[in-house]
Amino acid sequence: MIQKFNYVAPKSLNSALKILSENKNAKVLAGGTDIIPGFHIESRRFIDTELLVDIKKIQNLHAIKERKDFVEIGACVTFAELAENELIRKYFPLLAKAAETVGSVQIRNRATIVGNFVNNAPCADSVPPLLVYDAKIQIQSLKKTREISLQKFLIKPYATALKKGEVVTKIILPKPDENFVGDFYKLGRRRAVAISRISLAVLMRKKDGLIDEIRIASGAVTPIGTRLYELEKFAKNQIANSDTFKELAIMLGEKVLEITGLRWSSEYKLPVLQQVFYQLLEKVNRNEK
Amino acid sequence: MKSKSLKKVRVKFNLNCRQVEIETKPNKRLIDLLREDFGLTGTKEGCSIGECGACTVLVNGNAVNSCLVLAGEVDGARVITIEGIAKNGTLHPLQENFLKHGAVQCGFCTPGMILSAYALLLKKQSADEEEIKEAIAGNLCRCTGYKQIIEAIKYTIKEMSEKQA
Repeated sequence: MIQKFNYVAPKSLNSALKILSENKNAKVLAGGTDIIPGFHIESRRFIDTELLVDIKKIQNLHAIKERKDFVEIGACVTFAELAENELIRKYFPLLAKAAETVGSVQIRNRATIVGNFVNNAPCADSVPPLLVYDAKIQIQSLKKTREISLQKFLIKPYATALKKGEVVTKIILPKPDENFVGDFYKLGRRRAVAISRISLAVLMRKKDGLIDEIRIASGAVTPIGTRLYELEKFAKNQIANSDTFKELAIMLGEKVLEITGLRWSSEYKLPVLQQVFYQLLEKVNRNEK
Repeated sequence: MKSKSLKKVRVKFNLNCRQVEIETKPNKRLIDLLREDFGLTGTKEGCSIGECGACTVLVNGNAVNSCLVLAGEVDGARVITIEGIAKNGTLHPLQENFLKHGAVQCGFCTPGMILSAYALLLKKQSADEEEIKEAIAGNLCRCTGYKQIIEAIKYTIKEMSEKQA
């Protein structure tokens, strides 16, 4: 039997927010694929939880909606729903690809994308694609609604800018300019139910053979998913060719080493990271899917 | 947290095509509810953290790990366990073919494996080998090497499509 806690499933966001504001040891339950096994292994992250507030009965948190310039993803949308969704496949193919690679069928049928980054594990697969798409998120509490960029929301491993009594209600993804091409890469120990060792997302727009804009984000190799702005700045207006990509790959290795320090796994991980990043850039440049 | 402050949860759901209603502890997982309260021990507990798939059941037609779901979360849902796929004492074709093709050795992964395949067939009746592999990627088997399992599922798909034609 897992640890003791109470369980409620309110039907409206307002009542969920009220319950959360009144119980300081309450936690939001969405997919549960992190918190329930967390209870089982007696993870210290969840040990204080006295009440779970299941938000899945709140109808309007389940939608993926198209607006003029952006697409909204509700807090209860699962990876399975995301991977199948036409809007996501059309405008945010890297995100659809990442969603397909999460866990297994069983996990994707429960786990939510919002839960993936609220949990903020270093290996969260959805984070690098969300970062290159400049995702914003909407957060609500009883008192107010605020919007924040995902990059700012993610603070350090397993810590975010979410305050007591707040719920992330949706992701807001601006539709990218259609000249962007990109790809998502994930390396795990095996294909299914694998924790990512390396994940990378690249989105690039070329103009007359030059890199007009490139967005690069990493996961798993950095303590949390992060954009690599220094690399992006360096690449701007460089010729989109192998020399530039090699240079970028070397820079990425140096950057990751600078962030994480030398680890027992560095000897393997850094050359692999540089190689897969280089290949990813070449692939994006050839515009292969 | 003190146990006396636990508030029971009332769950009404459809279990293997039968309406059921039960009052249970708020921290009870679906797998425990099925095994302990309903005596449906075909659902197996392997890893308890969503990696092995032995506890796979269907919730609203989707395969899920019942070790990662709380009892309260299936309120209003349709749940199918391995006990619910035989009809009137006749095994489901998947069950028949698992037996026929040697896809059952120790048997511990079998219920979950069959339900993952069952969920695939609900969505897609013409799945190819890659789709079969993807559908059962969340189910570990340490005996068979998967070959016989994939054969059994393939054969079932073939059989069912011939029957329809």
